Amino acid sequence: MSNGLDFGFLIDTFFIALSGVPVAMIITIVSLVIALPLGFLLALTRINKMPILNQFSRVYVSFVRGTPVIVQIFIIYNSVPLLLASIFEKYNIQMDVYDVNPIWYALIVFSLNTTATLIEVFRSAINTVSKGQLEAAYSVGLTTVQAFTRIIIPQTLVVALPNLCNATVNLIKATSLGYAMSLPEITLKAQVAANASYNYIEAYIDIFIIYLIICSLVEFLFKRMEKRLRKYKIAPAA
Amino acid sequence: MLEIQTIKKSFGKNTVLDGVNLKIKKGDVVVVLGPSGSGKTTLLRCINFLEKADEGKAIFGDIQVDLHKASKKQISTIRKRTAFVFQNYNLFNNKTALENVTEGLIIGRGIPKEKANKMGKEALDKVGLSEKYNAYPSELSGGQQQRVGIARAVVLNPDIILFDEPTSALDPELVGEVLEVMKTIAKEGTTMLVVTHEMSFAKDVANRVIFMDGGVVVEEGAPKEFFENPKEERTQRFLRRVLPEDYIYNI
Repeated sequence: MSNGLDFGFLIDTFFIALSGVPVAMIITIVSLVIALPLGFLLALTRINKMPILNQFSRVYVSFVRGTPVIVQIFIIYNSVPLLLASIFEKYNIQMDVYDVNPIWYALIVFSLNTTATLIEVFRSAINTVSKGQLEAAYSVGLTTVQAFTRIIIPQTLVVALPNLCNATVNLIKATSLGYAMSLPEITLKAQVAANASYNYIEAYIDIFIIYLIICSLVEFLFKRMEKRLRKYKIAPAA
Repeated sequence: MLEIQTIKKSFGKNTVLDGVNLKIKKGDVVVVLGPSGSGKTTLLRCINFLEKADEGKAIFGDIQVDLHKASKKQISTIRKRTAFVFQNYNLFNNKTALENVTEGLIIGRGIPKEKANKMGKEALDKVGLSEKYNAYPSELSGGQQQRVGIARAVVLNPDIILFDEPTSALDPELVGEVLEVMKTIAKEGTTMLVVTHEMSFAKDVANRVIFMDGGVVVEEGAPKEFFENPKEERTQRFLRRVLPEDYIYNI
């Protein structure tokens, strides 16, 4: 049956897989939008050793970091519907829990996951900005919020950017695990297309190329952002 | 104008300030001397609420503040009337020299940007940095950074500027330019409370010297009196160590 690659199929499937990009991007972007502020705030609770929240963040990070994403997906995807079903039943809501779009589960899993990653990213980055600058900000009359938004966060971001890029790329790649909950993203779409004709290798090549393109683009964007944001850092005398 | 009463502060079991009283009049240049760990820096930090005192009162013109339980509003009022120059400059690294100076004006005080820029440039001119408005801290030498730090304090036109060992982190070569700037603003009548190890500055510029040790004021007086004729045994010992012998007797 093997007659080399089926280029027609390769190209057709490329576009089918491409149609899964929006879903992957929505999950990536929404997860980041939720995880960026949350991760930053929880990182602050770690640095300032705030009672309860500090311990919570620490345990939370170890739980998420210590388990595979695919297992987290299985747990959320299987337990949340049960939970919902009992809630629906209790309040008499007429809705089938199995009609819930899997994208919601994906958003939950990946937001929780990314938050844990970003807590650690920000924790190390915030520590690189000296506490003295915060004190200086106070001494010239800035409030804590002003000091953070104008002085601390801009510098934290520059330091965190390489790791944020890393986290984002990892997140994009991890959305491919969404196929496990029949999320119509890139991997699932290509796989479904291949199921009909058994042209798996072509489908996998397509997926491979698409992730490569997206992730390279993201890397490029982060590099540019970093260059722009770090203008105040002069390269050490060469 | 500024009066501090029985300020106390401990870090754990370590008592750093053990009831310090201090009175500063408008236009005073008060230098605080003392060995490391005598509580000089903590005193300054408590006045500006960078550290919370365990006890004590500050009387600032017409306002009276309990240093231990000041409200946010009181803290903000006191901070508006004071400015701080840090040992490690603590410039905002993501801002240019001019932005460092205008940040407090624009954001802290709500002064329009154009006016703030004008004031900021004047302050930077005063400390001899007319050429460096748009330089980032990473492009400046330590002495230049500290001069920006001084400009940042001066521009706020505070009732008093608190200097926390402003030259201790500098190369010996660069100490002079910073002291020179401090002398200039002292001559203009700025009220200053200066923690320093620069004896020459204390002698030449201060009109009062305070010697602290072990969290208390051991001795205070006019610089001439203080250096030529120290009364306390502890002060004499300190001065013998930090000054060459002949200095004490041959001023």
